[in-house]
Amino acid sequence: MVEAKKVRRTTLDPAVADLLKGMQQKQTESQLPRREREKLSRERAKIQSRRDQRATYDLPRSIREGLRVLAEDLRLPASQLATLALARFLNEYQNGSIDLGQYKQPSRSPRYDWNLVFPEEIVFAGRRKKGS
Amino acid sequence: MGRPLLPILCVFLYDESILTLRVKMTMIFAFANQKGGVGKTTTAVTLADGLARLKRRTLLVDLDPQGHLALSFGLDKSPGLYRLVCLDEPLSEVVQSIRPNLDLVAGDKQTEKVKRQITLADFRESILSDLLANSGYDVILLDMAPSLDVLHINGLIAADWVVIPTRLDALAVDGVKEILTTMAEIGQNGHRYRGYSILPTFFDRTTRETLIQFEEITRIFGSNVWPPVPQDTRVRETAAYGQTLWEYSPDSSSVEGYLDGRQRLGGYRQVLGRMLEVIDG
Repeated sequence: MVEAKKVRRTTLDPAVADLLKGMQQKQTESQLPRREREKLSRERAKIQSRRDQRATYDLPRSIREGLRVLAEDLRLPASQLATLALARFLNEYQNGSIDLGQYKQPSRSPRYDWNLVFPEEIVFAGRRKKGS
Repeated sequence: MGRPLLPILCVFLYDESILTLRVKMTMIFAFANQKGGVGKTTTAVTLADGLARLKRRTLLVDLDPQGHLALSFGLDKSPGLYRLVCLDEPLSEVVQSIRPNLDLVAGDKQTEKVKRQITLADFRESILSDLLANSGYDVILLDMAPSLDVLHINGLIAADWVVIPTRLDALAVDGVKEILTTMAEIGQNGHRYRGYSILPTFFDRTTRETLIQFEEITRIFGSNVWPPVPQDTRVRETAAYGQTLWEYSPDSSSVEGYLDGRQRLGGYRQVLGRMLEVIDG
Protein backbone atom coordinates (compact mmCIF):
# COMPACT_ATOMS: atom_id res chain seq x y z
CA MET A 1 0.00 0.00 0.00
CA VAL A 2 1.41 3.36 -1.01
CA GLU A 3 1.66 5.76 1.91
CA ALA A 4 0.10 9.13 1.22
CA LYS A 5 2.62 11.93 1.08
CA LYS A 6 2.52 13.94 4.29
CA VAL A 7 2.27 17.67 3.82
CA ARG A 8 2.99 19.99 6.73
CA ARG A 9 0.21 22.56 6.99
CA THR A 10 0.70 25.93 8.60
CA THR A 11 -2.36 27.63 10.01
CA LEU A 12 -2.28 31.34 9.37
CA ASP A 13 -4.43 34.23 10.44
CA PRO A 14 -7.03 34.51 7.62
CA ALA A 15 -6.09 38.12 6.79
CA VAL A 16 -2.39 37.21 6.73
CA ALA A 17 -3.12 34.24 4.45
CA ASP A 18 -5.17 36.37 2.02
CA LEU A 19 -2.55 39.10 1.92
CA LEU A 20 0.27 36.62 1.39
CA LYS A 21 -1.64 34.85 -1.39
CA GLY A 22 -2.29 38.15 -3.17
CA MET A 23 1.37 39.19 -2.92
CA GLN A 24 2.58 35.81 -4.20
CA GLN A 25 0.13 36.02 -7.11
CA LYS A 26 1.38 39.49 -8.04
CA GLN A 27 4.97 38.30 -7.78
CA THR A 28 4.23 35.39 -10.13
CA GLU A 29 2.47 37.71 -12.56
CA SER A 30 5.41 40.10 -12.59
CA GLN A 31 7.56 37.35 -14.09
CA LEU A 32 5.20 36.75 -17.05
CA PRO A 33 5.80 38.24 -20.52
CA ARG A 34 4.48 41.79 -20.94
CA ARG A 35 1.49 40.77 -23.08
CA GLU A 36 0.23 38.28 -20.55
CA ARG A 37 0.77 40.76 -17.74
CA GLU A 38 -1.29 43.37 -19.58
CA LYS A 39 -4.02 40.82 -20.30
CA LEU A 40 -4.22 39.86 -16.62
CA SER A 41 -4.25 43.50 -15.63
CA ARG A 42 -7.15 44.20 -18.05
CA GLU A 43 -9.08 41.22 -16.72
CA ARG A 44 -8.53 42.39 -13.16
CA ALA A 45 -9.72 45.90 -14.01
CA LYS A 46 -12.81 44.44 -15.70
CA ILE A 47 -13.64 42.30 -12.68
CA GLN A 48 -13.12 45.25 -10.36
CA SER A 49 -15.29 47.57 -12.42
CA ARG A 50 -18.12 45.02 -12.29
CA ARG A 51 -17.80 44.40 -8.58
CA ASP A 52 -20.21 47.18 -7.59
CA GLN A 53 -22.83 45.86 -10.00
CA ARG A 54 -23.01 42.47 -8.36
CA ALA A 55 -25.81 41.40 -6.05
CA THR A 56 -26.89 38.14 -4.50
CA TYR A 57 -30.53 37.18 -4.08
CA ASP A 58 -32.26 33.91 -3.33
CA LEU A 59 -34.35 33.07 -6.39
CA PRO A 60 -36.49 30.02 -7.13
CA ARG A 61 -34.73 27.51 -9.34
CA SER A 62 -37.46 27.79 -12.00
CA ILE A 63 -36.89 31.55 -12.35
CA ARG A 64 -33.12 31.14 -12.72
CA GLU A 65 -33.58 28.33 -15.20
CA GLY A 66 -36.17 30.28 -17.20
CA LEU A 67 -33.83 33.27 -17.35
CA ARG A 68 -30.89 31.15 -18.45
CA VAL A 69 -32.90 29.43 -21.21
CA LEU A 70 -34.32 32.72 -22.48
CA ALA A 71 -30.87 34.33 -22.48
CA GLU A 72 -29.52 31.40 -24.51
CA ASP A 73 -32.42 31.54 -26.96
CA LEU A 74 -32.02 35.28 -27.50
CA ARG A 75 -28.22 35.06 -27.32
CA LEU A 76 -28.10 37.77 -24.66
CA PRO A 77 -26.31 38.04 -21.31
CA ALA A 78 -28.64 36.77 -18.55
CA SER A 79 -27.63 39.72 -16.34
CA GLN A 80 -29.07 42.16 -18.88
CA LEU A 81 -32.37 40.29 -19.00
CA ALA A 82 -32.49 40.29 -15.20
CA THR A 83 -31.77 44.03 -15.20
CA LEU A 84 -34.60 44.66 -17.67
CA ALA A 85 -37.04 42.53 -15.68
CA LEU A 86 -36.20 44.25 -12.40
CA ALA A 87 -36.22 47.74 -13.92
CA ARG A 88 -39.66 47.15 -15.45
CA PHE A 89 -40.95 45.78 -12.16
CA LEU A 90 -39.68 48.83 -10.24
CA ASN A 91 -41.22 51.24 -12.77
CA GLU A 92 -44.55 49.46 -12.69
CA TYR A 93 -44.52 49.28 -8.91
CA GLN A 94 -43.83 53.02 -8.71
CA ASN A 95 -46.64 53.70 -11.22
CA GLY A 96 -49.01 51.77 -9.01
CA SER A 97 -49.67 49.08 -11.64
CA ILE A 98 -48.41 46.32 -9.35
CA ASP A 99 -50.05 45.58 -6.03
CA LEU A 100 -48.05 43.41 -3.66
CA GLY A 101 -50.96 43.18 -1.22
CA GLN A 102 -52.31 40.00 -2.77
CA TYR A 103 -49.00 38.17 -2.07
CA LYS A 104 -48.29 39.55 1.40
CA GLN A 105 -48.46 37.37 4.48
CA PRO A 106 -47.22 38.22 7.98
CA SER A 107 -43.69 37.02 8.70
CA ARG A 108 -42.59 35.36 11.93
CA SER A 109 -39.01 36.51 11.38
CA PRO A 110 -37.79 39.28 13.71
CA ARG A 111 -36.13 40.96 10.69
CA TYR A 112 -39.19 41.28 8.43
CA ASP A 113 -42.82 42.17 8.88
CA TRP A 114 -44.00 40.44 5.71
CA ASN A 115 -43.28 37.59 3.33
CA LEU A 116 -44.37 37.42 -0.27
CA VAL A 117 -46.02 34.11 -1.06
CA PHE A 118 -46.30 33.59 -4.79
CA PRO A 119 -48.86 31.51 -6.63
CA GLU A 120 -47.43 28.73 -8.77
CA GLU A 121 -48.25 30.44 -12.07
CA ILE A 122 -45.76 33.20 -11.26
CA VAL A 123 -42.93 31.05 -9.91
CA PHE A 124 -43.19 28.49 -12.71
CA ALA A 125 -43.90 30.99 -15.49
CA GLY A 126 -40.45 30.67 -17.03
CA ARG A 127 -40.54 26.89 -17.14
CA ARG A 128 -44.03 26.74 -18.71
CA LYS A 129 -43.15 29.16 -21.46
CA LYS A 130 -40.13 27.06 -22.33
CA GLY A 131 -42.34 23.93 -22.48
CA SER A 132 -45.01 25.48 -24.66
CA MET B 1 -26.21 5.02 44.59
CA GLY B 2 -28.07 7.91 46.11
CA ARG B 3 -25.00 10.17 46.20
CA PRO B 4 -25.92 13.75 47.03
CA LEU B 5 -25.66 16.20 44.18
CA LEU B 6 -24.52 19.04 46.44
CA PRO B 7 -20.75 18.42 46.24
CA ILE B 8 -20.92 18.25 42.45
CA LEU B 9 -22.95 21.44 42.37
CA CYS B 10 -20.47 23.16 44.71
CA VAL B 11 -17.54 22.20 42.50
CA PHE B 12 -19.40 23.52 39.49
CA LEU B 13 -20.13 26.83 41.20
CA TYR B 14 -16.58 27.05 42.46
CA ASP B 15 -15.24 26.59 38.94
CA GLU B 16 -17.69 29.16 37.61
CA SER B 17 -16.45 31.70 40.17
CA ILE B 18 -12.86 31.07 39.10
CA LEU B 19 -13.89 31.66 35.51
CA THR B 20 -15.61 34.91 36.45
CA LEU B 21 -12.53 36.09 38.34
CA ARG B 22 -10.25 35.25 35.42
CA VAL B 23 -12.40 37.21 32.99
CA LYS B 24 -12.15 40.28 35.20
CA MET B 25 -8.37 40.04 35.64
CA THR B 26 -6.11 42.65 34.10
CA MET B 27 -4.45 41.55 30.89
CA ILE B 28 -0.93 42.90 30.43
CA PHE B 29 0.58 43.27 26.96
CA ALA B 30 4.26 44.09 26.45
CA PHE B 31 5.36 45.69 23.17
CA ALA B 32 8.93 44.57 22.74
CA ASN B 33 11.67 44.29 20.18
CA GLN B 34 15.32 44.83 20.95
CA LYS B 35 15.63 46.56 17.60
CA GLY B 36 14.69 50.23 17.64
CA GLY B 37 12.51 52.04 15.10
CA VAL B 38 10.14 49.17 14.48
CA GLY B 39 6.98 50.96 15.63
CA LYS B 40 6.65 49.83 19.25
CA THR B 41 5.52 53.20 20.62
CA THR B 42 3.15 54.01 17.75
CA THR B 43 1.63 50.56 18.05
CA ALA B 44 1.22 50.82 21.83
CA VAL B 45 -0.32 54.31 21.56
CA THR B 46 -2.71 53.37 18.76
CA LEU B 47 -3.89 50.13 20.32
CA ALA B 48 -4.21 51.66 23.80
CA ASP B 49 -6.38 54.49 22.48
CA GLY B 50 -8.33 51.99 20.39
CA LEU B 51 -9.07 49.87 23.47
CA ALA B 52 -10.01 52.95 25.49
CA ARG B 53 -12.46 53.99 22.75
CA LEU B 54 -14.04 50.57 23.13
CA LYS B 55 -14.57 51.45 26.80
CA ARG B 56 -11.83 49.21 28.18
CA ARG B 57 -10.08 50.82 31.16
CA THR B 58 -6.57 51.00 29.79
CA LEU B 59 -3.20 51.94 31.26
CA LEU B 60 -0.10 52.70 29.21
CA VAL B 61 3.28 52.41 30.92
CA ASP B 62 6.41 53.92 29.40
CA LEU B 63 9.44 51.76 30.19
CA ASP B 64 11.64 53.68 27.77
CA PRO B 65 13.88 56.52 29.10
CA GLN B 66 13.18 58.38 25.84
CA GLY B 67 9.70 59.09 27.26
CA HIS B 68 8.03 59.19 23.86
CA LEU B 69 4.63 57.99 25.03
CA ALA B 70 3.87 61.34 26.67
CA LEU B 71 5.02 63.23 23.56
CA SER B 72 2.75 61.05 21.41
CA PHE B 73 -0.22 62.40 23.35
CA GLY B 74 0.98 66.00 23.19
CA LEU B 75 2.21 66.01 26.81
CA ASP B 76 5.58 66.78 28.35
CA LYS B 77 7.79 63.95 29.51
CA SER B 78 7.53 63.28 33.24
CA PRO B 79 9.06 60.88 35.75
CA GLY B 80 5.92 58.80 36.40
CA LEU B 81 7.72 55.46 36.43
CA TYR B 82 10.47 56.88 38.64
CA ARG B 83 7.88 58.09 41.16
CA LEU B 84 6.13 54.73 41.12
CA VAL B 85 9.21 52.55 41.56
CA CYS B 86 11.79 54.71 43.35
CA LEU B 87 9.62 57.07 45.43
CA ASP B 88 7.03 54.38 46.27
CA GLU B 89 4.12 56.62 45.30
CA PRO B 90 0.89 54.71 44.68
CA LEU B 91 -0.09 53.95 41.09
CA SER B 92 -3.22 56.09 41.37
CA GLU B 93 -1.02 59.12 42.23
CA VAL B 94 1.42 58.80 39.35
CA VAL B 95 -0.98 58.07 36.48
CA GLN B 96 -2.07 60.88 34.20
CA SER B 97 -5.54 60.67 32.72
CA ILE B 98 -4.92 61.44 29.05
CA ARG B 99 -8.09 60.36 27.25
CA PRO B 100 -11.43 58.88 28.37
CA ASN B 101 -10.67 55.41 29.80
CA LEU B 102 -6.96 55.87 29.13
CA ASP B 103 -4.27 56.59 31.75
CA LEU B 104 -0.51 56.93 31.37
CA VAL B 105 2.50 56.26 33.55
CA ALA B 106 4.92 58.51 31.72
CA GLY B 107 8.68 58.19 31.56
CA ASP B 108 11.70 60.40 31.04
CA LYS B 109 15.46 60.19 31.53
CA GLN B 110 14.90 59.43 35.23
CA THR B 111 13.76 55.99 34.09
CA GLU B 112 17.50 55.25 33.99
CA LYS B 113 17.54 55.67 37.79
CA VAL B 114 14.71 53.15 38.01
CA LYS B 115 16.95 50.58 36.36
CA ARG B 116 19.70 51.23 38.90
CA GLN B 117 17.27 50.99 41.82
CA ILE B 118 15.77 47.75 40.54
CA THR B 119 19.21 46.25 40.03
CA LEU B 120 19.92 46.70 43.76
CA ALA B 121 16.58 45.29 44.95
CA ASP B 122 15.66 41.79 46.12
CA PHE B 123 13.32 39.83 43.81
CA ARG B 124 14.18 42.46 41.26
CA GLU B 125 12.67 40.69 38.24
CA SER B 126 9.10 40.91 39.55
CA ILE B 127 9.02 44.48 40.91
CA LEU B 128 6.95 45.88 38.05
CA SER B 129 4.64 42.90 38.10
CA ASP B 130 3.98 43.47 41.83
CA LEU B 131 3.42 47.21 41.37
CA LEU B 132 0.85 46.65 38.62
CA ALA B 133 -1.01 43.87 40.45
CA ASN B 134 -4.59 44.75 41.47
CA SER B 135 -4.44 47.96 39.44
CA GLY B 136 -8.12 47.77 38.52
CA TYR B 137 -7.49 48.31 34.81
CA ASP B 138 -8.91 46.00 32.15
CA VAL B 139 -5.76 46.16 30.05
CA ILE B 140 -2.20 47.40 30.64
CA LEU B 141 0.17 48.05 27.75
CA LEU B 142 3.90 48.25 28.41
CA ASP B 143 5.97 50.18 25.89
CA MET B 144 9.44 48.65 26.22
CA ALA B 145 12.79 50.21 25.38
CA PRO B 146 14.90 48.70 22.60
CA SER B 147 17.36 47.17 25.05
CA LEU B 148 17.91 44.10 27.18
CA ASP B 149 18.24 45.32 30.75
CA VAL B 150 16.59 44.68 34.09
CA LEU B 151 13.60 46.90 33.26
CA HIS B 152 13.08 45.04 30.02
CA ILE B 153 13.11 41.73 31.88
CA ASN B 154 10.66 43.21 34.42
CA GLY B 155 8.32 44.13 31.57
CA LEU B 156 8.51 40.68 30.04
CA ILE B 157 7.84 39.05 33.41
CA ALA B 158 4.85 41.31 34.11
CA ALA B 159 3.36 40.53 30.69
CA ASP B 160 0.71 37.94 29.90
CA TRP B 161 1.09 38.44 26.17
CA VAL B 162 4.02 39.85 24.21
CA VAL B 163 3.46 41.73 20.97
CA ILE B 164 6.60 41.98 18.86
CA PRO B 165 6.33 44.71 16.25
CA THR B 166 8.86 44.24 13.48
CA ARG B 167 9.80 45.71 10.16
CA LEU B 168 10.16 43.09 7.48
CA ASP B 169 13.88 43.19 6.98
CA ALA B 170 16.49 40.63 7.97
CA LEU B 171 17.85 42.60 10.95
CA ALA B 172 14.46 43.29 12.50
CA VAL B 173 13.38 39.68 12.08
CA ASP B 174 16.55 38.70 13.93
CA GLY B 175 15.34 40.98 16.76
CA VAL B 176 12.15 38.88 16.90
CA LYS B 177 14.20 35.74 17.44
CA GLU B 178 16.15 37.48 20.23
CA ILE B 179 12.97 38.43 22.09
CA LEU B 180 11.59 34.92 21.75
CA THR B 181 14.84 33.49 23.12
CA THR B 182 14.62 35.83 26.13
CA MET B 183 10.97 34.84 26.63
CA ALA B 184 11.93 31.17 26.50
CA GLU B 185 14.59 31.76 29.18
CA ILE B 186 12.04 33.56 31.35
CA GLY B 187 9.63 30.67 30.74
CA GLN B 188 12.25 28.22 32.01
CA ASN B 189 12.24 30.15 35.28
CA GLY B 190 8.55 29.50 35.78
CA HIS B 191 6.77 32.43 34.10
CA ARG B 192 3.87 31.36 31.89
CA TYR B 193 2.88 33.55 28.96
CA ARG B 194 -0.59 33.25 27.51
CA GLY B 195 1.00 33.79 24.13
CA TYR B 196 2.81 36.13 21.79
CA SER B 197 2.20 37.77 18.44
CA ILE B 198 4.44 39.13 15.76
CA LEU B 199 3.17 42.32 14.19
CA PRO B 200 4.73 43.34 10.86
CA THR B 201 4.86 47.14 10.70
CA PHE B 202 5.91 49.62 7.98
CA PHE B 203 4.49 47.00 5.64
CA ASP B 204 4.93 47.68 1.94
CA ARG B 205 3.33 44.92 -0.08
CA THR B 206 4.85 46.08 -3.35
CA THR B 207 8.45 45.12 -2.60
CA ARG B 208 10.00 41.73 -3.18
CA GLU B 209 11.97 41.89 0.07
CA THR B 210 8.73 42.31 2.04
CA LEU B 211 7.30 39.21 0.37
CA ILE B 212 10.43 37.16 1.09
CA GLN B 213 10.50 38.17 4.77
CA PHE B 214 6.73 37.81 5.11
CA GLU B 215 6.87 34.29 3.70
CA GLU B 216 9.70 33.50 6.09
CA ILE B 217 8.02 34.71 9.28
CA THR B 218 4.66 33.14 8.39
CA ARG B 219 6.43 29.85 7.66
CA ILE B 220 8.24 29.91 11.01
CA PHE B 221 5.66 31.54 13.28
CA GLY B 222 2.37 30.57 11.55
CA SER B 223 -0.73 31.88 13.31
CA ASN B 224 1.41 33.95 15.70
CA VAL B 225 1.77 36.49 12.91
CA TRP B 226 -0.90 39.16 13.16
CA PRO B 227 -2.18 41.10 10.13
CA PRO B 228 0.46 43.67 9.16
CA VAL B 229 0.24 47.43 9.48
CA PRO B 230 0.75 49.18 6.12
CA GLN B 231 3.29 51.98 5.92
CA ASP B 232 1.69 55.41 5.79
CA THR B 233 3.30 58.83 6.02
CA ARG B 234 0.40 60.08 8.13
CA VAL B 235 1.67 57.95 11.01
CA ARG B 236 4.75 60.19 11.23
CA GLU B 237 2.61 63.34 11.13
CA THR B 238 0.37 61.99 13.89
CA ALA B 239 3.11 62.07 16.53
CA ALA B 240 4.04 65.62 15.51
CA TYR B 241 0.49 66.81 16.27
CA GLY B 242 0.34 64.98 19.61
CA GLN B 243 -2.68 63.00 18.49
CA THR B 244 -3.38 59.32 18.05
CA LEU B 245 -4.10 57.77 14.69
CA TRP B 246 -7.78 57.40 15.61
CA GLU B 247 -7.90 61.17 16.09
CA TYR B 248 -5.62 62.41 13.30
CA SER B 249 -6.18 60.01 10.42
CA PRO B 250 -8.64 57.21 11.21
CA ASP B 251 -9.06 56.53 7.49
CA SER B 252 -5.33 56.03 6.82
CA SER B 253 -4.15 52.69 5.47
CA SER B 254 -2.26 52.11 8.73
CA VAL B 255 -5.59 52.01 10.49
CA GLU B 256 -7.86 50.55 7.83
CA GLY B 257 -5.39 48.26 6.05
CA TYR B 258 -5.34 47.44 2.35
CA LEU B 259 -8.58 47.34 0.41
CA ASP B 260 -8.68 43.97 -1.32
CA GLY B 261 -11.94 43.55 -3.15
CA ARG B 262 -14.58 44.13 -0.52
CA GLN B 263 -12.44 43.18 2.44
CA ARG B 264 -9.79 45.04 4.39
CA LEU B 265 -6.49 43.33 5.07
CA GLY B 266 -4.21 44.41 7.90
CA GLY B 267 -4.16 47.75 9.70
CA TYR B 268 -4.52 48.70 13.34
CA ARG B 269 -8.31 48.25 13.33
CA GLN B 270 -7.88 44.58 12.46
CA VAL B 271 -5.00 44.22 14.93
CA LEU B 272 -7.25 45.70 17.62
CA GLY B 273 -9.77 42.98 16.81
CA ARG B 274 -7.10 40.30 17.29
CA MET B 275 -6.14 41.90 20.60
CA LEU B 276 -9.76 41.83 21.78
CA GLU B 277 -9.93 38.14 20.87
CA VAL B 278 -6.92 37.59 23.16
CA ILE B 279 -8.41 39.71 25.98
CA ASP B 280 -11.86 38.16 25.83
CA GLY B 281 -10.48 34.67 25.37
